[in-house]
Amino acid sequence: MPAASTGTLLRKVGFGGITGNRTVFFIMCGVLVAMLGIPALHNGYYENLFRGILMFSTLSMGWNIIGGYTGYVSFGNVVYFGIGAYTSAALWQHFHQLNLLLAIVVGAIIAALMALILGIPILRLKGPYFGIATLGTALATQEIISNIDWLGGGSGFPVHQIDNFSLYYYAMWGVCAVSLAATYAIGRSKFGYALVAIRENEEAAAILGVDPTRTKVQAWMISAMMAASAGAVFAAANGFIDPPTAFASDTNIFPIVMAILGGAGTAAGPLVGAFVLTAINETLWGHFPQIHTLFFGAVIVLVVLFLPRGVLWLLNVRGGWRGLVNSLGAYRV
Amino acid sequence: MEFNLALQDLVNGILAGGIFAVVALGFSLVWGIMNIINLAHGAYIMLGAYLAYTLFTFWHVDPFVSIPLAFIVLFILGYFIQRYIINFVVRAPILTTFLLTFGLSLLIINIALVVFHGDVKGITTSYTGTNFAVGPVTISWTKLWTLVAALLITGCMQMFLTRTKTGRAIRATSMDIGAAQLSGVNVAHLYAIVYGLGAGLAGAAGVLVSLSYSLQPSMGDPFIIKGFVVCVLGGLGSVQGALIGGILYGILESFGSQWIGTGLQDATALVVLLLVLVVRPRGIIGKAVA
Repeated sequence: MPAASTGTLLRKVGFGGITGNRTVFFIMCGVLVAMLGIPALHNGYYENLFRGILMFSTLSMGWNIIGGYTGYVSFGNVVYFGIGAYTSAALWQHFHQLNLLLAIVVGAIIAALMALILGIPILRLKGPYFGIATLGTALATQEIISNIDWLGGGSGFPVHQIDNFSLYYYAMWGVCAVSLAATYAIGRSKFGYALVAIRENEEAAAILGVDPTRTKVQAWMISAMMAASAGAVFAAANGFIDPPTAFASDTNIFPIVMAILGGAGTAAGPLVGAFVLTAINETLWGHFPQIHTLFFGAVIVLVVLFLPRGVLWLLNVRGGWRGLVNSLGAYRV
Repeated sequence: MEFNLALQDLVNGILAGGIFAVVALGFSLVWGIMNIINLAHGAYIMLGAYLAYTLFTFWHVDPFVSIPLAFIVLFILGYFIQRYIINFVVRAPILTTFLLTFGLSLLIINIALVVFHGDVKGITTSYTGTNFAVGPVTISWTKLWTLVAALLITGCMQMFLTRTKTGRAIRATSMDIGAAQLSGVNVAHLYAIVYGLGAGLAGAAGVLVSLSYSLQPSMGDPFIIKGFVVCVLGGLGSVQGALIGGILYGILESFGSQWIGTGLQDATALVVLLLVLVVRPRGIIGKAVA
C-alpha cells in the first residue's frame, strides 16, 4: 500500500530548517535555564517532577537523533538507558565509587561501544524490521542482565544516595542541557545534514558522498550516549536498580511519544513533548489516581487523531479552522 | 537420555507453536495489508482469554467451545475500532498508527484492569494436567488439542483468503490498492474487515492462551513481540508462513529454555531473530506483501 514514508511525515514536521522553528527553540532554552531555579523552591515534589521532565527530555532527544533526524525509528533506546543505570549501580556496588560525573562518562562510553557493536548489523535493516530488531535487543538485554549475578541478577541492587539531593537535579539538568546543545550543533553541522539526507533518501545520500553505515552508526552512538547519561543519574537518584526499573517499557515508549508530540526531527520538539505529556500525566494522576493510565491511553489516541504532526504543527496551519479540518483528513481512507 | 530430552523439547515446541501461529497470523494480516504494527494485538488476546475465563467460571463453557464466540466478539470490536478510529490516519506513516494502537492498547488494558482487577487468574478444566506417553515423550492433552484447534483456525483462514470473494478482495488490496478500488472494492470497509479478522484471530488465540498461561490484564503484551518474531521468521501476510514461523519459534523457545537457561528463552529466540535479520534483512520467506 502506498503509505507515505516516515521521512515524509518528518519533513512536514521539520518546518523552518532542520532544527525546527528558531523562536520555539530559544523559548525552550529560556525555559530550560529557568528550570535551574527549581531546587531553590525547596519542594521535593517539584524537584522530582522536573527531574523527571529533564530525564524524559534527554531520552527523547537521544531518540530524536536516530528516530527523528535519521528516520530510523528505534524501539530499543532503553537498552542504553539501562546500561547507564547499571554502570552507576555497579560502580557503587563493586568499586565504591560515588562520583556521578565518572558514572555518566563511563556509562556513556560503554553505551556507545554497545551501540557500535549492535548498530553495524542492525542499522542495515529498514523500517519495521529495524524497529523489531531494536525492540528485540531491549527485551533480550533485560533478560540477559537478569541472569548475570555480578549485576545483581533478577533482584538488582541498591545505589548509594548522597545527602544533597539537589545534586541529582543539577546533574540531570546538565545532561539535558548538553544533549540540547549537542542536538542543536548537530542540526547545524554537515553531519546533521547527512542524517537528514539519509532519512529522506538513503541511496541518493550515498551517491552524494555520505557514507550511510558510518553516519547511521555514529548517530546511534550519540543517541546511546544521551540515554546512558540520563540512566546513570536516574540510578543514583532512584537509589535502587533492578531489571524491570532499568528497562521499563514506559522509559522506552514515553520518549518516542514525547518526540512525536513535540515534533520529531526538531531540536526543541522533545523538550516541548516532555513538558506537555508530563503535564497531562500529572493532571490526570492528580484527579483520577485509579484510572489515570486509562485516560493517558485516551489522550494518546486523541493526540494521534487530531495532532498527528505534533503540537507545534498547530503554529503552522494556514487557512484557520477550515485549513485545520482539511489537513486532518489527509491520511483518511 | 540426551536424545530423549531433545525429542521432548522438540514435541513441546511444536505443540506450543500452534498458539504462536494464530497470534502471528492476525498480526501479520494487519501489518502486511495495512502497514500497521498493531500494538493493541496483545490487548485483544487478553480480552479473548478473559472471555473464555468468564464463560468457563460462570457458565461452565469449555474454553474450546468459546473459540468461535471469542472470534466473533473480537471481530466486531476490531471492525468498529478500525472503521471509526484507525481509518482516519491509516495512510499516515507507520509511526502514527503505531502510536495510535499503543494508546488503544493502554485504554483497553486499563478498562480490563477496572473490570477484572489485577489479580492473577487461571482456568482449570477437567483435563488440565492430564498427559499420555508416546514412547519416551510425554504429551499434554491440553497442548495437543490447542495445536489441533490452532491448525483448524489457520486452515479456515487460508480457505477464507483464497476461496471467498472478500478474501480475494483482501489479497487484491494488499497487492495494488488503486487497482482494487477501480474494481469496486470499498477500502474503508475492507480495512475494517481485515482489522476485525486480526482482532478476531487474537481473540481466538487468547482462548488458547488461557488454557496454558495465567490471566492478568497485561498478559497479552509478551505475545506482541512473539508475533513480531514469527512474522519475520515466516514472512508477512502468508498463512503458511505464520504456521511455519510459529512452530519454528515454539521449538526455538523450548530448546532455549532447556539448553541455554530458564528465563533466557526469549533472549535465545531474539538472538536467533537478530541473526536471521542480519543474513536476510526481510525475513526468511522473502518480502512483504505490501
